[in-house]
Amino acid sequence: MTITINNLKKCFGSKVAVDIDNYEVHSGDLLGLVGNNGAGKTTLFRCILDLLKADEGSVMINEFCVSETEEWKHFTGSHIDEGFLIDYLTPEEYFDLLGKFYGLTKEVIAERLTKFERFMGGEIMGQKKYIRNFSAGNKQKIGIVSALLHHPQLVILDEPFNFLDPSSQSIIKHLLKEYNQETGATILVSSHNLNHTVDICPRIALMESGKIIRDIQNIEGSAEKELEDYFNVE
Amino acid sequence: MNLLTLYRIIDKNKNKEERRNPSFDSNRVVKFLGYFMVVYFAAFFVFLGVMFPAMFREIVPGMEPYHIMNQGFAYLLMLDFLSRFLYPSLSKDMKPYLLLPVRKSQLVSAFLLRTGLRLMNLMWMFIFVPFAALTLFKFFGIGGILMYLIGIWLLIVMNSLWYQLCRTLIAESPWAYFLPVAVFAVLLLAEFALPGLPISRFTMELGEGFIMGEAWAFAAVLAGIALFYVANLALYGKYLYLELSRHNDTQVKHVREYRFLEKFGEVGEYLKLELKLDTRNKVPRNQLVMGLIFMIGFTAAIAYTNIYDGFMTHYICVYNFAVFAVMNLGQIMSFEGNYIDGLMTRKESVYSLICAKYYLNLIVLVIPFLMFLVPVFNGKMTLLMIVSLMTFTAGFVMWMILQLTAFNKTTVPLNVTMTRSKKTNSLPQMIVVMGAFGLPLLIESGLKVLFGTDGAFIAMLLIGLGFIISHRWWLKRIYRRFMKRRYENMESFRACR
Repeated sequence: MTITINNLKKCFGSKVAVDIDNYEVHSGDLLGLVGNNGAGKTTLFRCILDLLKADEGSVMINEFCVSETEEWKHFTGSHIDEGFLIDYLTPEEYFDLLGKFYGLTKEVIAERLTKFERFMGGEIMGQKKYIRNFSAGNKQKIGIVSALLHHPQLVILDEPFNFLDPSSQSIIKHLLKEYNQETGATILVSSHNLNHTVDICPRIALMESGKIIRDIQNIEGSAEKELEDYFNVE
Repeated sequence: MNLLTLYRIIDKNKNKEERRNPSFDSNRVVKFLGYFMVVYFAAFFVFLGVMFPAMFREIVPGMEPYHIMNQGFAYLLMLDFLSRFLYPSLSKDMKPYLLLPVRKSQLVSAFLLRTGLRLMNLMWMFIFVPFAALTLFKFFGIGGILMYLIGIWLLIVMNSLWYQLCRTLIAESPWAYFLPVAVFAVLLLAEFALPGLPISRFTMELGEGFIMGEAWAFAAVLAGIALFYVANLALYGKYLYLELSRHNDTQVKHVREYRFLEKFGEVGEYLKLELKLDTRNKVPRNQLVMGLIFMIGFTAAIAYTNIYDGFMTHYICVYNFAVFAVMNLGQIMSFEGNYIDGLMTRKESVYSLICAKYYLNLIVLVIPFLMFLVPVFNGKMTLLMIVSLMTFTAGFVMWMILQLTAFNKTTVPLNVTMTRSKKTNSLPQMIVVMGAFGLPLLIESGLKVLFGTDGAFIAMLLIGLGFIISHRWWLKRIYRRFMKRRYENMESFRACR
């Protein structure tokens, strides 16, 4: 899936949250989006997912303009925050519901969930708990699994490492990398964790005040120094 | 920090919360209507206050008008209690203050103080000030009037705390509606079953006590205020912890699946979701039970008693068919506002959702229909009438209420009731509620003039059928309208989550 951003601008009052002339995320890219708080990462994701109205410009996913058609929703999986989860369902019910929407049978859902068993760490399935009663980390895991469950060709995850324990962070890094290599899916991940971003993303976009100021090719961790300099990490 | 300072801070913040609510602008008209109603009722109350002295003298010549008025205090308090359900409730958002260095009891006290000091509690003064001036001045002077008014204000403050206590219990369980009903029933029973109308006699003496500035009268009301204050404090203390700890469903014993709905495809999945929404979350569950209690209660009153006859039978028939849909669909999308982003990233999920909501409300119409069969057999109403009104509700009225899908944009918390409460009344909601209860009667009256009684019911039946048959078309149009307004609505849902 190719994402094409054309003259995209989104303002909140006088503050420009996103202002990107032209930018393309190529099919099969695993793109990391980094930037300080308020740089516009989440706003950009929301614009790509048609959850915010752009003041100017457009976002295309392949040939589909996201604000004009809903076709792209079939092959897109995303998780931004808790507002994505129907929290009065159990995780099993939630996965089951999502599976139905994407035409998956119970058997297929069960089979796909086995791949996430280690990630879920035996703390999510079979707990007889509604999602609202899980910890922030486990809710995050449920959101990430639900974004990947239907094998989307485009995955958008906002701060996926947040709330996760170190071993779960490590597992999700491997899962995303593997998913990208196996399926050729385009993956967009935003994060404040430079190490994780550098570890998994061959391409990194650096955002500042709504603009993508650097498009860094990250070959075997080459972006680390550049990012550390930018963020003044000692 | 003392209580008054805390009260001032909270009051100031609550006013800001209201002004900065995303729906504030669109609610200005509602606010204006609210102020207009206050002015209207104030003028009407002043009129009553001026009229009552002469009226009472004429009806009971041997008694002073204020004695007669004082005998009615119990009824006044009941009326005041009921009218409070119509006022917008005060916000109870305590969570932001819970970690501040303020005692919880002090925090709750500040919120209770807001309840006691709200301006609405002075509304009855529009009757009592002119009434007292006309009836008390010549006997007791300004002092007597002042004492009388203070006494009445204290009574109303006590009533506001009693109402607050009931509202807190009702928010936890709608069965708590039976508490004030039981209390009023006991009072009425005591009044009429015991000799000498003891309640009226007591309130007459209480009023006399206020006028004379007798300590026992004020002490009695202050004791009532203290009692309800302590009860509220204890209740808040208990529920506040329960709510914060979310103890009640951390481990679910039995997860109900509603698998029988799976054969209806995506709409079936949303029907399941709707049932889970209504049964697993405190706020929608209470609304649902309240809707059913109102509907079944009024229908039973018509079916098995002679309380409502004539025009009221008719009105309540319309009301009963529409009330559940108004309560259930009047806040459509407001609960979904909690997870709107998740819905919006899936294709046409909101369309399937509104279809499911429509079908569920159609099924519920069977309950009043079956209950109304009793008055049909008793000859109080005709089968044609109930079939016609039910079909009209299922078609036209539902079509009207479901328009709110595109206009509701305030998220309503699913479970939090003690620490948060949102004001969700908006102009479109008010118009739709008035339309749902008023339009069927207006249309029926117009059609009766044209076609006679049976002809009108047949016409309404046909109109309703037309809407039912074309429901997929107009639901799709509602969905498109929702999609046109999606950005504005999503931003608002997020902003008030």
